Amino acid sequence: MFGEPSSLLGGTLLATPSDDDVGAPATGRQEVDAFVLGGLLGGEEPEKPTEDHGFGDPGLLGDAFQPTGLLTEESPASGSSNDLQPTSQTQDTATQDSQELLDPRPLGLPSVVARSTSGPTILSPSIRATSYDGTPVYLRRKPRKFESTVLNPTSTRSQGVGKLLDVPMHRLMDELSATTAAKLSLHDQPVASTSAVSPESTMWVDRYRPQRYMDLVGDDRVHREVMAWVKEWDFCVFGSKKGKKRARDDEKQDEYRRPNEKLLLISGPPGLGKTTLAHIVAKQAGDARSASAVDDRIRPALETGSMIGSSKPILVVIDEIDGATGGSDNSGGFIHKLISLTYDIPRKKGRSKKEQTARPLLRPIVCICNDLYASSLSKLRPHARIIRFSRPNDLHLVRRLRTICETEGLKAESRALSALVGLAQGDWRGCLNTLQLIKARNKVVTESIVRKATAGMKEADMSQLAVLNDLFTPMSRKRAKELGVTEEEEARYVTRLSREVEGSGSMDRIAIGCFEHYANLRRHDANFSRYLKANEWLSTYDVMSGQMWAEREYASMQYLPYLLVPFYPLFQERGGPKVERPKVDWEQHTITKTNEEIFKSLAGGLRTACTRHGGAYRHFTSDVILQLEFTPFINRIISPPLRPVNRQVIKPDEKALLDRLVDIMVSLELRFVQDKTEEGQLMYRLDPPIDVFVTYDGKRASDIAVSRYAVRHLVASEIDAKFIHREAEFVEKTKETKKRSFFNANKDEAEGQPEGDGKLMAGEAPDHLVTKRAKTDNGIVEKAAVDFFGRPIVQSASSTKPASTTGRASKKREGIVFKFREGNSAAVRRPVKVSSFL
Amino acid sequence: MSLWVDAYRPRTLDDLHYHESLSTRLRSLAASGDFPHMLFYGPSGAGKKTRIACTLRELFGKGADKLKIDQRVFMTPSRRKLDVNIVQSNYHLEITPSEVGQYDRVVIQELLKEIAQTQQVDVSAKHRFKVVIIQEADSLTRDAQAALRRTMEKYMSNMRIILCANSTSKLIAPIKSRCLLVRVAAPSEGEIVKVLKYVASRQPFRQIDDDVAQEIAQDSDGNLRKAILVFEALKMQSPDLSGPLTIAKPDWETYCHKVADMIIQEQSPQRVMEVRSKLYELLSHCIPASVVLKTIADRVVDKVDENLKADIMHWAAIYETRMRVGNKKIFHLEAWVVKVMSLYKHFFYDIDMTGFD
Repeated sequence: MFGEPSSLLGGTLLATPSDDDVGAPATGRQEVDAFVLGGLLGGEEPEKPTEDHGFGDPGLLGDAFQPTGLLTEESPASGSSNDLQPTSQTQDTATQDSQELLDPRPLGLPSVVARSTSGPTILSPSIRATSYDGTPVYLRRKPRKFESTVLNPTSTRSQGVGKLLDVPMHRLMDELSATTAAKLSLHDQPVASTSAVSPESTMWVDRYRPQRYMDLVGDDRVHREVMAWVKEWDFCVFGSKKGKKRARDDEKQDEYRRPNEKLLLISGPPGLGKTTLAHIVAKQAGDARSASAVDDRIRPALETGSMIGSSKPILVVIDEIDGATGGSDNSGGFIHKLISLTYDIPRKKGRSKKEQTARPLLRPIVCICNDLYASSLSKLRPHARIIRFSRPNDLHLVRRLRTICETEGLKAESRALSALVGLAQGDWRGCLNTLQLIKARNKVVTESIVRKATAGMKEADMSQLAVLNDLFTPMSRKRAKELGVTEEEEARYVTRLSREVEGSGSMDRIAIGCFEHYANLRRHDANFSRYLKANEWLSTYDVMSGQMWAEREYASMQYLPYLLVPFYPLFQERGGPKVERPKVDWEQHTITKTNEEIFKSLAGGLRTACTRHGGAYRHFTSDVILQLEFTPFINRIISPPLRPVNRQVIKPDEKALLDRLVDIMVSLELRFVQDKTEEGQLMYRLDPPIDVFVTYDGKRASDIAVSRYAVRHLVASEIDAKFIHREAEFVEKTKETKKRSFFNANKDEAEGQPEGDGKLMAGEAPDHLVTKRAKTDNGIVEKAAVDFFGRPIVQSASSTKPASTTGRASKKREGIVFKFREGNSAAVRRPVKVSSFL
Repeated sequence: MSLWVDAYRPRTLDDLHYHESLSTRLRSLAASGDFPHMLFYGPSGAGKKTRIACTLRELFGKGADKLKIDQRVFMTPSRRKLDVNIVQSNYHLEITPSEVGQYDRVVIQELLKEIAQTQQVDVSAKHRFKVVIIQEADSLTRDAQAALRRTMEKYMSNMRIILCANSTSKLIAPIKSRCLLVRVAAPSEGEIVKVLKYVASRQPFRQIDDDVAQEIAQDSDGNLRKAILVFEALKMQSPDLSGPLTIAKPDWETYCHKVADMIIQEQSPQRVMEVRSKLYELLSHCIPASVVLKTIADRVVDKVDENLKADIMHWAAIYETRMRVGNKKIFHLEAWVVKVMSLYKHFFYDIDMTGFD
């Protein structure tokens, strides 16, 4: 498919090694190979050139390589396999450029020319040249690849400078296309080439593992997607030195130009080649190793990778990430660590702008899992780009299997092979293993042999969802054909389904799945007979499994699957609503757990109350009473209809109510905690939130008034005061002597709080107004102060009154207490009229 | 400050408001010196715990009122830690083994052994034995009950056990035969009204209207605790106890009734799903499944035809037993709902019901 276009340069380059009489191409050759690969496979190794370009001598030959730069840009965008057109073109120009370059050289660098033309000295690491006046000039080593491309034409026909190409160009082209064709044909059968290398003892799976991107079988789009994602990292991993690209890169990426999702999560059933894909992409994406890293290896791997930076960038492949988390805390930490690794970035970003040393995650991480919805991965999913592997087209697999059979000398019927693929459900690994197994005995692969060999394969464990689907939908014709199940066999479903249920490994969840799904099937069921039966089976199942666990009679486990099979005859339906992953039960379970926690904290509060109040609340602590009687009524008791008024102006009966409320809440350790709603509004929340127990379907009971913010504020401040008071009391008890003043202060402070607000509102604001007014009409300062509404202010009167009374009091006191100039205390010195002594 | 329920709880046998004859009997028992193991049983809110506390007071004097609460940690054979709250005074000890579920046997054994093997050190104590009160005895597992029966005989010399249960049906016979059974019946409406009036008289407002008291008493189903809680809630919500009083039912009960109505209104797969979500809501509010079933069944039975009542209750009972054995309560609740729907439908359309058993 990509034979012709890329041939041009490739030919030239490949021609060189054939007659390498000069020492030069020894090193150049590998590079050439690599280069060809890059050309052929589009973006296989595009980074190398980029890098080299960075180091290269731009003054001299920079132009020659710009096209390669183009190549790198092209490849991530358009995937990797089909951008051959531009590639070949660029290489074409590259050749031309290099041809041209040989000519201008004498003009460009006159001093060097003399020696450089004379032989391969240029190849030495640093080139010594002598100018006309005899001063030695050292030239820095040029990148090898560059040298090779430039030098090859000269060295192949190195007889003279004048005759640059003594083989005509068209012949060269022919030669080149021939070699390319040969090489391509080699590529077309990588299988053969690899199998020749590997000894008989290896597993076929390993032997025929694809080595190159082009060898991959399956959904091209998925492969391309993965490759594209990895390519998105190019700039971050390789290309930070490239000026040109930065200029025209799009803006959606962050400063490191990483893709938005830093993790790639490949999911799919086993044996489809996820791991292979990851490794190949890693290899192909650049000069990268893939490291299967565990736990703390990741961070060092990434960091070393980013420190060395240029030499060996790393792409981390974490395989079987769903298995890495068996539910233990440690492995939960693994996922968590992984996420925090990717999460760190936004936080660090600001800092690393200033100091470039602290580098965040700069290397791609690829995770591979079988079960995308494994509970352990739930946290990972939002942060990862998810790629699902699906079963590849059987045709591809069969074709590949046939070539393998041919190379292995197995005679295979294509029917047998397609049967095998069908049985294995696209499990590529399974197919190969089976074939290898067959090879050990037979020389021919027939359908019957395949069926025999795969007898156990059918029961390979299936996901819950698949089992549920099988329970509720009859077997599809196609699948039946694959399994080679005849009509009458299909009719005998019990064994098949019970095995499936058992094989799923989690019968309880299947039961829940059945429970959640059966009522979705709204078939016309006039007398409910179907539902009745279904429920009967379910409840029998539950009773039996409950008994089994309780009595530890695990022998009865084997009978449990049969209790779920009846859902098939009862509800099987083609094209019914799809079975969904059961989740309602789990959701309810978590809610129940949180509510139980609330009950626990409430019971804890009751117990402490019990110790404080001489055993008063202890009879409520039993669960049933708590749940059924206490919580509904305590919720009503603690929500009396209070008016949102200032504590000072409260009516006496309301005051009593408030006091009682506060008392009860304090003794139960209930509080109002200030919080913000989602809209950012301030509100008071009950803590522990026992009001959830009067809230059903998201609605509070109608007879409980929702107390307003102001009321709760009032109550909350009272409660806080009370708590402080209580603590103070406690302290006081322990340290009687010292704490008295402290306690008073505390109390004052606490009580001052709510009062303060009120006074501020009532007293101060008008005063302020008054002064303002006083300024405006400056003549009548002495006029009585008026409040906002123009009424004479009562406050001011009251505030002056106490002042006058205190004045009087002080007069009196002076008369009694005062002693003139006693001691050296300045506290009581004050000018006093004689009259006050009289 | 505590709730009225606690504040006006009688402290001595003399203060008790009703079941006078029971009080006298308890008094004479306490005085006799030969105090037996006892099993108090009766409906919730009848005053069992109050009577137990009063009896203890009668036995040991005021010292029995000085309580402290400990949390003890027990270890199961499988190295699992169990936290148990223990209320104790110098003379007695109160545990609720159902807190730890199926591991209650461990708690019972360890704790009782420990008590039984230590003598009363207080010389001035009136009796040589300590009393162990086991709350919610009817939720003891069979294992725990079996562990109990031996201990009850063996350590009679320095320990007495008082069991407190709602019904004796879940207790094994050997335990029942070792105890003096004391039934505390629910107070009558008149008695509840009397108590409510007593509570009111100790409050600043002094009195409660007769009709209000009557209404509360009627609504409480003989549960005095509930009656007083309702009274206090009412008082808090409308301080002058005037106007048309609406006595709030507990929210879960209202919700259960709603579910029952839904079952009767319509019988369809659609409705089954709706009812299921409601049942989930109830269960997630920690309402015990058996209570849910019972409440809904009661309500349904109220509304349906006479001929259906027996069947519905019969099936409710069957599914309740199943529920106790099984793990997933919701399966059985729904199974019952579907059963009721089907029964109702059949009755309604007068279809022959044979073959539906």
